[in-house]
Amino acid sequence: MTDQIRQALRAVFDPETGRDLIAMGMIYDIRRQAGHAEVTMTTTTRGCPLTEVLRLGVQAALLAVPGVTSAEVTLIWDPPWTPDRIEPLAF
Amino acid sequence: MAGKHLSRWTLVWFGSAMAMLLAGCALGLLGAADPQGWSQGSNLAVVHLFVLGWLCQVMLGALIQFVPVLAARPLAFPGLALPALVATSTGTLALALGFLALDGHQALQPLFLLAPVLIGLGFALVAVMVTATLWHRDSLHLAEVRMVLLALAALVGLWLSGGRMVLALAGLGPAPDLSAMLPLHLLLGIAGWLGLAACGVTYKLFAMFLLAPEQGGRLRGAIFWTAAGLVALLLAALLWLLAGGSAGRATALALALLPLLALLALLYLTEIAQLWKARRRPALEPNMLWSRAALAFLALAAALAIPGWLWGGTWAETAVFVALVGWLSTLTLAQLLKIVGFLTWIQVFAPRIGHQPVPMVQKLGSTRAASACLALWCAGTLAGALSLLGASPAGYRLAMALLSLGALGVGRELIAVRQLAHLPPAERPGQLPHLMLPLLHPRPRAETRS
Repeated sequence: MTDQIRQALRAVFDPETGRDLIAMGMIYDIRRQAGHAEVTMTTTTRGCPLTEVLRLGVQAALLAVPGVTSAEVTLIWDPPWTPDRIEPLAF
Repeated sequence: MAGKHLSRWTLVWFGSAMAMLLAGCALGLLGAADPQGWSQGSNLAVVHLFVLGWLCQVMLGALIQFVPVLAARPLAFPGLALPALVATSTGTLALALGFLALDGHQALQPLFLLAPVLIGLGFALVAVMVTATLWHRDSLHLAEVRMVLLALAALVGLWLSGGRMVLALAGLGPAPDLSAMLPLHLLLGIAGWLGLAACGVTYKLFAMFLLAPEQGGRLRGAIFWTAAGLVALLLAALLWLLAGGSAGRATALALALLPLLALLALLYLTEIAQLWKARRRPALEPNMLWSRAALAFLALAAALAIPGWLWGGTWAETAVFVALVGWLSTLTLAQLLKIVGFLTWIQVFAPRIGHQPVPMVQKLGSTRAASACLALWCAGTLAGALSLLGASPAGYRLAMALLSLGALGVGRELIAVRQLAHLPPAERPGQLPHLMLPLLHPRPRAETRS
């Protein structure tokens, strides 16, 4: 079930790097219970001006997954994002 | 709401600064910035259009936009941004016109005296916004945050020394030794205010654009404390001079700090080189590629500071020219192209993310156009530095022409970015953002480009 969500998040791109949020290591956790999806994510820096943009993008992508009727996206910065979280073949 | 933490007036700050840059370049091209006569009113007017109108304004506007990123907190007192811009830009124009009073246009003397008041008001309003945003226990432990606050302390010294010189030139009050005040004014402005603000911002900005780990270890701490000591000494020397102290001692102290400033630049460049090596982003955009040229100019300015310290004269003039035009301006022009693209992307495309395909930020600009105009700017800087060292008026005029072409090119590219002119027609929205004003009511696009 979470594979569908993971696939949907592969379509949400960081507009600065052109890489999706999974490849950038910005998705910390994905959970799904029946029609409710929850994602915990971060941004590359806490004060990133794209924070709200990306959160809304993830929310929209979750709600577009068949069977998902409600979605919750939580932003956290602990642990902080580091470049080590980027997938090895992302660049 | 997407982009709710963006300052509404950033693009107007940038537009005002670009207008001053173009005016300064055009006047320089017409011969109003003659290296043989820096003390003439018309020359001082052009120099201040460039340094105060261009570099200071663009730095103030950038800080208003960037300190929320640095502190991870919304901008404090955002309503002060517009009055600060009005005060700073009108103050700059008043100062530039007021300098002409030194060339015999006495009717402009009131503007000369009004200018420091307006400029001081603008500086103070921005300082309130920036300090109130950064002054928090969660951010004060960051050396880059403290470096920006230190830059504001130097800005106070810059204004005090500048204001005192205006009074002296206007014939009001006891005249301090201007030849002693000038080195302090230059060092507080270039190394203190503009330099430290640029260093503090680039630590964060470079790490973001390079996808490099944010370091901030012992080296950065050492750089900050060394810089804090230097600014404290410069401010102490200024206060000593303002209180009627010996001009010779103040000048000696200012000049003695030059080798330390060169060392500080070297330490900063070492840390940036480490950041560069640790980056995860192999292919770089023009803003970072040309920032390397800016950093090379910083190294050159630091190297020239040593003969400038030993022999003064054209060596010192060239060091100042390379620092202002080569390091700070190249860095600012390169990052301006990126930041304006970034802000435009947020304005136009942020609401679409997750719903429909959106272009990457870098597609809003043209690598070729950006590189061409930045190359012209850098060539102009080199030509200017060589012509100053070689006392060549023809070379200097050529440098002014190259710098003017580079600045015009950047201006043209910034307009193209705002008009989304580099995007294929299918990716452009039906409504374009306003060139500079906040996006309140987007204007309809007149026609589809082919």
